[in-house]
Amino acid sequence: MERSSSLEKAIRGILITAVLLFFLFPIFWIFLMSFQTNEDILRIPPSLFFEPTLQNYSALLTGKLETAAGSLDIAFMRNLGNSLLLSTFSVLLSLALGVPAAYAFARFKFRLGENIAFTLLSFRFAPPLLVLLPLSLFFKQLGLTDTYIGLIWVYQLICLPLILWIVRGYFEDISPDIENAYRIAGHSWWRTFRRIAIPLARPGIAAAGLLAFIFAWNNFIFALILASASKQPVTVGALAFVTASGIQYGQIAAAIVLSVTPTLLLALYAQRYLVEGLSLGAVKG
Amino acid sequence: MGRRPDSHGSPPFFPSFQPNAMTFLDLVRTHMTVAAHPNRPRRLTMRRFLPYLLSLPALLVCIGILIPFFTAVYYSTLRFRLNLPMMKGFIWVDNYISFLTDAAFWNTVQVSLVYALVTVTGELLLGLGIALLLVRPTKINNAASIMLLLPLMTAPALAALMWKLMTNPNFGILSYLVSQLGFDNFNWASDPSSALFTVVLVDVWVYTPFIMILLLAGLRSLPKQPFEAAALDGVPRSFVFFRITLPMLMPYIITASLFRLLDSMQQFDIVYSMTQGGPGDTLMVFQVQAYLEFFQYTNVGRSAALLIVLWAITYALSNIFIKHWLKLRERAHGPA
Amino acid sequence: MFEKGHDLAAAFVRKQIGRRELIQRAGQLGLGVAATSFLVAQAMGQAMAADFDWKKYSGTKLKLLLNKHPYVDAMVADLENFKMLTGMDVSYDVFPEDVYFDKVTAALSSGSSEYDAFMTGAYMTWTYGPAGWIEDLNAYIKDPAKTNPNYDWEDVLPGLRASTAWNGVPGGELGSADAKQWCIPWGYELNNLSYNQKIFDKVGVEPPKNLEDMVGVAAKLTKDAGGPYGVGVRGSRSWASIHPGFLSGYSNYGQRDFTVTDGKLKAAMNTAESKAYHKLWVQMIQESGPKNWSTYTWYQVGTDLGAGASAMIFDADILGYFMNGGDNKEKGNIHYAPFAANPAATAPTPNVWIWSLAMSSFSAQKDAAWYFMQWASSVEHDLFGARKMDFVNPVRASVWKDEEFRGRIDKSYPGYLNQHDASAPGAKIYFTAQPLFFDLTTQWAETLQKMVAKEVPIDEGLDQLAASVDKQLEDAGLGG
Repeated sequence: MERSSSLEKAIRGILITAVLLFFLFPIFWIFLMSFQTNEDILRIPPSLFFEPTLQNYSALLTGKLETAAGSLDIAFMRNLGNSLLLSTFSVLLSLALGVPAAYAFARFKFRLGENIAFTLLSFRFAPPLLVLLPLSLFFKQLGLTDTYIGLIWVYQLICLPLILWIVRGYFEDISPDIENAYRIAGHSWWRTFRRIAIPLARPGIAAAGLLAFIFAWNNFIFALILASASKQPVTVGALAFVTASGIQYGQIAAAIVLSVTPTLLLALYAQRYLVEGLSLGAVKG
Repeated sequence: MGRRPDSHGSPPFFPSFQPNAMTFLDLVRTHMTVAAHPNRPRRLTMRRFLPYLLSLPALLVCIGILIPFFTAVYYSTLRFRLNLPMMKGFIWVDNYISFLTDAAFWNTVQVSLVYALVTVTGELLLGLGIALLLVRPTKINNAASIMLLLPLMTAPALAALMWKLMTNPNFGILSYLVSQLGFDNFNWASDPSSALFTVVLVDVWVYTPFIMILLLAGLRSLPKQPFEAAALDGVPRSFVFFRITLPMLMPYIITASLFRLLDSMQQFDIVYSMTQGGPGDTLMVFQVQAYLEFFQYTNVGRSAALLIVLWAITYALSNIFIKHWLKLRERAHGPA
Repeated sequence: MFEKGHDLAAAFVRKQIGRRELIQRAGQLGLGVAATSFLVAQAMGQAMAADFDWKKYSGTKLKLLLNKHPYVDAMVADLENFKMLTGMDVSYDVFPEDVYFDKVTAALSSGSSEYDAFMTGAYMTWTYGPAGWIEDLNAYIKDPAKTNPNYDWEDVLPGLRASTAWNGVPGGELGSADAKQWCIPWGYELNNLSYNQKIFDKVGVEPPKNLEDMVGVAAKLTKDAGGPYGVGVRGSRSWASIHPGFLSGYSNYGQRDFTVTDGKLKAAMNTAESKAYHKLWVQMIQESGPKNWSTYTWYQVGTDLGAGASAMIFDADILGYFMNGGDNKEKGNIHYAPFAANPAATAPTPNVWIWSLAMSSFSAQKDAAWYFMQWASSVEHDLFGARKMDFVNPVRASVWKDEEFRGRIDKSYPGYLNQHDASAPGAKIYFTAQPLFFDLTTQWAETLQKMVAKEVPIDEGLDQLAASVDKQLEDAGLGG
């Protein structure tokens, strides 16, 4: 893998450029749209040149939207806050529940272990639509309708299986020898788990946590059905720019840019752990 | 490439340690051989209860939410349409039996399977390719891998809205570029012949990064030694890839494609936002049909039955995946 | 200063002074337009207060479920007055239209008592009514103890009152004597032509007079306009593609979706006349419709007209109305015309969409909720919205006679009043009310898509559609 001719380097460079072009061009285009008026966006044919405006962002940040039909109040920043709150706490809870469970499945072969693991995965099969109606009845009985706690609970269906199965793979790839040795040196099980196992599986935990965060962030059907307008996430907030008097593409583009930013920052932060994992993560058995 | 004997002395799952981690590990190993029998009784009770203690909270949290699942199963055995309340009644499996002779149902099964197969295959190949391209942890590669997550971070419902604009024949930049290339009558999602291609394209755009990042993390954590040995012995690179890299990466590939398969079988956002299942019934996947049955037609019984079938299909498919995964794991680590 | 403002507003409400004078004099008092509107609305509220105990439910808290819509903006702008008039508190959840009806279905099917009243379309009440989720409002409208004496229900356009009333019997005639009033019309739209005068002038065509004419004019526009296509209509796989232009034209030929005999429904889409109509319609889309027609919803049809990508649309009049303002490139160029598809017809027969207010059966405070509903559908609020906001089309005959409203529309929306006045008498819902409405119209749209894509010949497609519809009706116990 270390040897590479200059031809190979060139091919790699071209391929990477092509990949970046395909995946990032739409993002780039959305980014440009976020600085355009709807009139500029809806030109025939589309054009790269326009006079940039900040009105989309100012509308989102101040909560006032000027449209053909007058001034509208929008709750976008509140939606953004809801998304942050729901995704963060859902992932934290999932990590707290999922990482120990993943460790158990990776390290111990116990009665019903695989069955429990598969059952946990199977929560991911249940189409949300299937459970939504009964779930809303169930939530009503429990008094959890329109509460953040209820939503964070339901979000476990998205986050927990993902974290559990990805992290499990990483734990299985780490040799148990190191942990055993540490145990033998007289440390408790809990300490071993915390000081040895978790740091070694960190790249996996970081990747799984990040992906779970993204999936939680992008979900909106649960909040839509189970909560009132004040607890809706950013996706529902962005859909509000699809108005009867026209789709406000500029605002939607700006909403996408704003809603992607926190996740991007998280990814950049998590990257440290993904990279750091390389030196330790290569310790395999 | 035939099954030639592995004469190079680097079996795929060669246990290996990185040199710089050796000192600590060696120390550890020595300790182990010396004190191989720690006090047994305590460990046994620990061993017996600990795994349950660790995994049950996760299970309980999920099961709590899934009580409604059984209500839904019950609904699927009813003739239950919210706006025809007088017709409500228990009909056993008649909802399911009615599917057997329903051409629309079989079309849905076919479309969903084709959709899942095409997207998962495409995303897996592309994601693997990109991960291999970016495997060296240079600054540029790391930055590129994070940037490539951006499509995944864009909520599919909004991404689809933007793709719909970008493929609009009047204002769409992609339509414009394609027409500049001479394809004047390419009508993207609106034409039965290109509709599947278009939504698959969007799905690939959104979800390839998911597979890419998991495989990249997997690739980067593979032990280095087999590769170094193979390089020293001048083993052809195709051989290294198919006989070393791919088998070692397989558990990661299975996990990543399993999650993609589950989500892809349950595709809703992209298809619904772009075509609502049309044109005609070209893209009528399970979730779109079930959504219409429930939210528009309020046919709860039929919607639930459809979703239970979807559930059963995904259950069966993932069972196959997991069996493979466990087998691979066992081969890699030996029975625990 | 505010005292004078109050007096001014009161004078305006009593029609002693005109709007221009009001704004001018308010400006002299240092009052902005918003403050003036508020005062006006307040003065209207005081005018309403006569002879009715509006304060009866003072202190009650209501919650509404609303769709993001200009009608809601108008209502919210006026809401303080309702609170002052009644002493009630009103909160509301607004959801984007994309997901609005999912939210309504979810809330009602779970029996949630959170919302007292909500926005709906008449078609949806064909589900909500039989499901037992909404109240028959006749019990309120006809009760003088519950409804204020100035409410004037008869003032609401008769076609709209009838279209929102159904006896619940599949195939039962809308607005029959035994019908239940499932919702109150709030604002509505009918389907006619909105066209780009600039493009029409450039090509040298007149608004088409009937469907055959439209096929020709649209083809000529597509050929000669140098870019824009001829006519925009919806095509997505949804009931919403059937109900606007398509059904309006279809009804103009006297065609129906079903025939009802002895309470049994039978598909009627495969008559010879229907097949001829479908042929013209499909030809029109193939020759001069949007290229991406099968993905076209309300939004794309409107956007294209507003951005100059299409020369005309046969869709909701208020869609054309919105495209003539805001930051649309073609604002000011959009004109309006009535349209009767059938050359033999004497007048247009536009099918309508009616945004209405319905009362949840799960509400714990129905009488108080009705207070809100009668206020929101009152002459006063309708007038406020029509004059000051985009509360078009108003549902009350008296508002359509209001000079200020007519003046505002006539000035900026050429031909709008004419298309409405010419069509209003025939404007109503032309669908047959029955519980499978959404299933069967969605399938109709699907068939239309297959026909336009030339996957199935028109005659054969309609025969298949009718057979499938009949089977579903029979399975549901509605056919015979």
